[in-house]
Amino acid sequence: MPQGTYLRLLVFFLGPALVLYSVFSIYPLLATILNSLYSHQKDGSFLWNGLGNFHTLLFDPTWSEPFWNALKNNFVFFLIHMLVQNPVGLMLAALLSLPRLRFRATYRTLIFMPTMLSVVVIGFAWQLILSPLWGIAKMFLQTFGLGFLFAPWLGEESSALITVSLISVWQFVGIPMILIYTALLAIPDELIDAATVDGLNQFQAFFWVKLPLIWPTIGLVSVLTFVNNFNAFDLIYAMKGALAGPNFATDIMGTLFYRTFFGNQLQLGDPSMGSTIATMMFLIILIGIMVYLFLVQRRIQRYSF
Amino acid sequence: MAEVRIEKLRKSFGAVEVLKDIDLTVEDGAFVVLVGPSGCGKSTLLRSIAGLEPVSDGIITIGGRKVNDLAPAQREIAMVFQSYALYPHMDVAANMGFGLRFAGTPKAEIAARVAEAARILQLEPLLKRRPRELSGGQRQRVAIGRAIVRKPQVFLFDEPLSNLDAALRINTRVEIAKLHKLLAATIVYVTHDQVEAMTLADKIVVMNQGRVEQQGKPLELYYRPANLFVAGFIGSPAMNFLPGKVTPGGVDLGADGALALPLPAGAVPGSAVTLGVRPEHMRIAGTADGLRIDATVELVERLGEMGYVHLRLPSGAVAIAEIRGDVGLGTGDRTSVALDPAHLHLFGADGHRIA
Repeated sequence: MPQGTYLRLLVFFLGPALVLYSVFSIYPLLATILNSLYSHQKDGSFLWNGLGNFHTLLFDPTWSEPFWNALKNNFVFFLIHMLVQNPVGLMLAALLSLPRLRFRATYRTLIFMPTMLSVVVIGFAWQLILSPLWGIAKMFLQTFGLGFLFAPWLGEESSALITVSLISVWQFVGIPMILIYTALLAIPDELIDAATVDGLNQFQAFFWVKLPLIWPTIGLVSVLTFVNNFNAFDLIYAMKGALAGPNFATDIMGTLFYRTFFGNQLQLGDPSMGSTIATMMFLIILIGIMVYLFLVQRRIQRYSF
Repeated sequence: MAEVRIEKLRKSFGAVEVLKDIDLTVEDGAFVVLVGPSGCGKSTLLRSIAGLEPVSDGIITIGGRKVNDLAPAQREIAMVFQSYALYPHMDVAANMGFGLRFAGTPKAEIAARVAEAARILQLEPLLKRRPRELSGGQRQRVAIGRAIVRKPQVFLFDEPLSNLDAALRINTRVEIAKLHKLLAATIVYVTHDQVEAMTLADKIVVMNQGRVEQQGKPLELYYRPANLFVAGFIGSPAMNFLPGKVTPGGVDLGADGALALPLPAGAVPGSAVTLGVRPEHMRIAGTADGLRIDATVELVERLGEMGYVHLRLPSGAVAIAEIRGDVGLGTGDRTSVALDPAHLHLFGADGHRIA
């Protein structure tokens, strides 16, 4: 192929993606990192500050307390997803792939439905459900004589974060379910027949044959969960507002960044500190992904059948 | 090893009957091949013996023990699957010992049995490999090894050679035959390849549409097919069928002429019959031959020491005759073929052999 044609083809096929990716992803990322190295002045100008912003964020109590709080909350948010959303998704996928299950498509659609709904709708609906004044949850528990269990879960510092996390789990459990379900479908029936002849029951066949074969998918689901959780913002904002109450009990990196960058109530917006927090979010996700790539994925084998 | 006995076995998927009244005995140490076109129920029958498919009615016994309600692992069977179904995440040794592990066999004995099977199948250098690092033939041997270590009463093979290339298929076929002798194993083997069936089987069971059409020794099926289906299914190229009518002294083939031949006792003059003759028993006629039919050559296939002539008969029917060496015929030539009176088959209007 002549050099010119090759170059033209290269531009034709790679160009659009490269342009879009640069304009909407690479440039904002670099600009954010650059911003975090300057200090925003009251008159609107920027002064070079080196790594000063990071020092302020990590060691000045006015900044570091909310930062560590948000980071801790974010890890709790992530852990609840890993411990509840993904195991439940795995279990649902295993149930869905039972050969004798009826109404399979119905279950699949119903469980996946919340994922497609707007977070704002989900947040609003759950706020109504859990409301201590007119929420259905209280009456529901009372019907079964369990009314004493009810508490204003979203309003108490001790339970607000767990409640919001579980609502997010409820919304997104369909994604691990579908991904794992597809992986389970790819396992040939004869393999399970062979396990049956080898004396394994359904449960053992799942544990010893299917599960090892879907580890790559479970790894992928974990990475997606990690990235999504550390970029989360919308559900907290929809349910608890930018202040992530009560008393910042549900504050995560996303909401902290929002308040800092755009300002909120008495707090003035600070693009430099906002960018610093955004850069920290980027670094945390980067470290997480690298840990996964170098420590986990290398030990996972993919299988073709 | 043990005898497998199947009585009045039925199996339906909803309203569809896939196995209809199967009666079959696999003698102790016998090699029985189930053969038939796709969808004839042969794989379903095998899976029923294995316990992977529940049956609707009938009795299956293995070694005198009724196994209908036993789980596959308790039936003392081992199965080799078409896709081999090796566990991709385990090495060869683990694949072979996996079933024993779940049966609670002591580790030392598992190791000994795996080593023994590996020795028989020449898998020793491969024991630490994963299935994906093996060739098709090696995977096949591992699958057989996995069956051997279980020391089963019965081996079940589900089209085990269909994923191999032609050369390897012949080798493996020979190895399976040797293995059968070595282990004195009872084997039930499913295939759609009649060469495999003819070469491996002590007894062939020809199935069609959920029924057993005929069972017997390979050459018995070849020389005395019980009905039109078996006659057409066993043998390649397939048997030629010529429709006709029984006359007092033979068979009238209409436009193809009347043949004088000794009739079996069951042939009623005036009834419609089908005359079957294999290509090897239909030769280009010499001058002295008796049972002759005129024909036009449509195509000559030369395979070397032998060949096939595709013929158009006066009635418009198509027939294939075997030739030895080069007979110098070409497309369009007119010739005549001679039928070997010792190897003619007569089938009644119901498709059954007239004895």
